[in-house]
Order: sequence, then C-alpha cells, then structure tokens
Amino acid sequence: MSLASCHHIDSWDNDPVGNFEALWTIVDEHYCFFKEKDVDWQEVYSRYRPRIHDEMSARELFTICSEMLAELRDGHTNLTSGFNTSYYTKWWSDYPQNYDERLVEQYYLNFSENHIGSVTYAMLQDNVGYIRYPSFNSGLGHGNIDAMLSSLITASGLIIDIRDNGGGGLDNVETLVMHFLRNRTLAGYLCHKTGPGHDDFSDPFAYYYDPVSEPHITWMKPVVVLTNRSTFSAANNFVSIMKMLPGIYIVGDRTGGGSGMPYSSEIPCGWGVRFSACSILDSEGRTTEFGIDPTEGCHVDLDPQLALQGRDTMLDFAVALLMRTV
Amino acid sequence: MSPTMRSAMNSPANSGFSDTPRFMKILRILLSLVLAMSLNATVAAETDSADVQPYRPVTAYYTLDAGSSSIVDTYLTPLRYSGWSVGFGYDRWQAFKRSPEDWLMNLRLNVNVDRDENLTGNATMWNLGLAFSWGMYRRWTLHSLGGITVGAGPRARIDVGCLYTSRNGNNPASAKASATVDASAYVARKFTLWGKTMGLRYTTSLPLAGAFFSPDYGELYYEIWMGNHSGLSHVAWWGNYFRWNNDLMADIRFGGTVLTFGYRCDLLSTKVSHINTRIVRHAFVFGIGGEWISMYPGRRLSADTKIISAF
Repeated sequence: MSLASCHHIDSWDNDPVGNFEALWTIVDEHYCFFKEKDVDWQEVYSRYRPRIHDEMSARELFTICSEMLAELRDGHTNLTSGFNTSYYTKWWSDYPQNYDERLVEQYYLNFSENHIGSVTYAMLQDNVGYIRYPSFNSGLGHGNIDAMLSSLITASGLIIDIRDNGGGGLDNVETLVMHFLRNRTLAGYLCHKTGPGHDDFSDPFAYYYDPVSEPHITWMKPVVVLTNRSTFSAANNFVSIMKMLPGIYIVGDRTGGGSGMPYSSEIPCGWGVRFSACSILDSEGRTTEFGIDPTEGCHVDLDPQLALQGRDTMLDFAVALLMRTV
Repeated sequence: MSPTMRSAMNSPANSGFSDTPRFMKILRILLSLVLAMSLNATVAAETDSADVQPYRPVTAYYTLDAGSSSIVDTYLTPLRYSGWSVGFGYDRWQAFKRSPEDWLMNLRLNVNVDRDENLTGNATMWNLGLAFSWGMYRRWTLHSLGGITVGAGPRARIDVGCLYTSRNGNNPASAKASATVDASAYVARKFTLWGKTMGLRYTTSLPLAGAFFSPDYGELYYEIWMGNHSGLSHVAWWGNYFRWNNDLMADIRFGGTVLTFGYRCDLLSTKVSHINTRIVRHAFVFGIGGEWISMYPGRRLSADTKIISAF
C-alpha cells in the first residue's frame, strides 16, 4: 500500500542524540509557559546539545535531559525512566515548609479527628471547624462533604487546610468548591496550544462552577483556606477560585503555583515526559503559574520556635481571624 | 408481518441439504439463526410484488480477522506503536430493487480491537474501532474478459473509535469519529474449480468528502468536558483525511453456504490541527456466508423465476 499518500510524521532514532532531539522538540512544540518564564528554549538547546554523544550511558543522558527540563522551572515537568524520575523541586524546596502534620494532629486534633479517606475533619477549640484535605487525588462525593459540613454546622467558621496539597483531580476541586458557591460562578479560563509555535494559543475559554443543589449543604459562614508553598497544581487552582469568593480568606504562605495542566508524551527509548501544556487562568484572566498570594494582611509563616511548644502559628492566625470575623 | 420461510439457495433447482456433509448442515443451521434477524426487512420489501419482481438473494458474510496493526497518534505520542489486531465483520450484498441488473447495494459493519506497544515495549496502546457503511454499485459484466464483474459507486460511512494509552495522565485517549462519502469499487469473478463454485472479489474504497472529529493541538479533553466545543469538527478531504480500505477475498461455495477467506488492509491517515494520526492494519480474514432468499410460506420458485444475485 502506498504510504506516499500518508501525512508526514517526524521520527527520531533511538540513540542518545535521537532521544535528546525528540525530548527537546516535544517540549518545544507543546510547552505553554516559555513566554511567562522568559525561557529561550533555542538557547537551551544550544547549551545542552553539545553534551550529547552516542557513547554516553542512559543514566548520563537522563541526567542531562533532566537538567534541561529543569530550565523550565516547572513543578509539572518530569522525565520518567525505568531507573529514575526527575522532579523540579525549587518551587517549594527554596521556601519554609510551614506545615507540620504531627503538630496539628497532636496539639489541635488530639488524634481524635474523623476520617473520610485521606480527608480528616474535626471541631477545634473556639468552635472552629477544621478540614484537612491533603491531596486532590482523593475524591470526595457531595455526600461525604455534606457529612463533614453537617457535623461542623455549629462552628462559627471553617478552616480548610490544604498545606502540602500537591494537587490531583480538578473534578475534586469542583466538587468541593460547589459547597461554597451561592450562584453560578466564573471559575477561570482555559487556554491551550493551537500549534507548535510558542505563541500559538487559543482564546481563553471561560469555565463556570455551579453551586450544589438542595438538599446538599452550602457553607455560608466565613472560611479560611490555609496554604503554603507546597500547595500546588489543582490545590493552587482551588485557591484561585476560593480567593474570589466573598467571606473566604487565604491565609499562610504564597502557593506553589502549577497552573499548567500537564500533558504526557514519550521519547524513542520509552522514557515518559510530562510538562505543562494547557494554562489555567484565574477568573480575572491572570496566570497563577507562579503562585497565589494570601489575602492582604494574611501572610503568616509557621514559627519554628512556637512549633516546638505545640503552636501552629498559621492555624492560630486562622482561628483568630475567624473569631474576629464572626 | 406474515410468517416467512427462509431457505438457502444457490439456484432454483438446488434447495436440498441431503447431498451435503453433516458439518455443512450444522453450518447452515447456525448461519440461518444468525442471519434470520437481518432478513426481516428484506422480506417486507419483496412481498408486495413477488410475482413481478425478480428475486434478489442476499449474499451475506460473517467474518473474523486477525493480523497486525501499526498506530501513530501524535496527540498521544509521536512514536509508532505496533502489535496485533482482531476484528469482526458483517458484509451484506444484494441487487438493488429498482434496477437489479445494474445496481448492487452493500452494507458493512466492522468492529476491530488493536493492541500495540511502543518500540521498547514499556507502553501499550489500545484501539477500538467501529465502522458502519452502506453503498451502491453500478455494475458491469465484462464478457470480453471472461465474465468479470466490476462495479463502482458511492458509499456512506460512519466511523467511531478511540485510542487509549494508560501511560498518559491528562491526555490518555484520542477519540475518533467521522462521517464520509466514499468512492467505492469492486471487481469479482466467479469460476468453477474441482467441481466447486468459487469466486474472487476485490473491494476498495476511498473517502471523497465528509466531516471528522479532532480536538485542537494541545486541547485536553477536560476543556471539551467543561464545554468548549468549538473547532472540534473538521471538513474531511484528501489533504487532511485519507483512508483506504481494501479487501481481497476468495469464496468457496458449498451449496448455499460460502466459505470465505482473504486479506484485508486498512489505512487511515489524518492531519488536522497539527495532529497526525496513522493507523495501518493488515489482517487475514476468515468467515462464512451464504446466499439467501426470503419467501412466503408455500411459495415455490418456478423454472422461469428470475433470480439476480449480487455476484
């Protein structure tokens, strides 16, 4: 059969040069934040390409390719081989962690919190509700959220602690956000690549979230969302939406960002590559790739000295804020 | 609808089972059961004018195919995957009612499943495809070439399917859907060998125009799910949508039952929104079929009854 009638598809050899070229090209054609991050990808190529030669080992190639991907400064970028996975960590490792799980569980929850999957909830002293959502990979149904909110219904305010929440499913974000909406709400905009050029982007597409319908519970009291630099990706998206809602405060440290929806591909040797390809903007059309600041006047870090005395200064700040608000 | 009798026939004078081997009887019975539903509509169309219209037997095949496949879909990966392919097909031919000497109609249904791996074998891609088509052929018998029959005509075709690879997170699948008008042709030749009636048949089709589905270059299905449906359908033409389906089949007749086998080659090559897809399948095809007439109970074929077969 004549393959001349087929459309041309690029291919690369399965050798160090071919794999490097494939990786560079895939990122070149699909990555969505070159401009925001002021990354000259062609210049990156010219620096890394001379380091590639056919005699190098797979581990050497992996190391160089990982270093090249780190130039993107993107926590959504990974190179995955059979012996290692590369991560870019500086979006959180250069900052204080600002979260100590044991501190909260021991001194605030007394190890008596309720669990729904990986999500925990309890009533704190001062009559403030507390929900710990460690990862949006864990799904909650509306019934689960109803159960949590109804058990905290007498609280004067609610704290949703998403420190160290590295993201997960956007559908789980939507499910949770719906319980804090009064009306159909602009959640943000989606923007995808329309071609391999660095400026080939679609018009932003507005997407909306609807409130839960009765008999599900809508939380109308003040809310604090606790964040740190490890609040990333879908959790960052959660913050970008919640921050726009009335009566909701973002407390803690700036989030880690990660507003690009990751896209997967692979290179001839079978290594997988993952990177940001579709940008999510907040409801005002701004990128949140570099993180989201807390509500004005609500930036607070965990004091390590007080932590040794059993105090989470971020959580204390949140409780005090809610007590002032009601 | 009146009750009907369906009998396997090769000619008016040959309607018995008595001189066929036992396994052929079983084959016929099984085939009768499978084909029974598909013939109901045919019966209704033929009964009104059974006395004046020629009989138009239905030639139908049920086939299984197995072979190799090769897939590239740059929405999922730029790498070529290769592996095996299996499929099921239903192929129904009948002379067209209004001009049975000159026109044939053909209905086809194909389901295929492919399982392919990348070069290093550490990732798997599945392809599920469903194709339905209906076409008409203007046919000519070339007596100067030993009675070869050739036909050509339009075909309407609908394809749906999905490629899936588990290694991808937000882009694990690439949905396929298209509706096209194809140009289709066939060449057929009947002959007798070792006392058996045999046939060779080659069919081919190419899309002329239509529409097909594709997400945008870097558009994730999440965005489509959230309601962005713009730019998903595309006008199909040879520049962006090329498909070529080929079947080369041989038939061996055992009374009214046909044993069919052959080779199938399907090619799909698309390029839209900077996304390339190429799927090539080669398969050996094996199946059974038969030529069938639907009649009222009690009706008999007279010696001068005209029967116009598909082949």
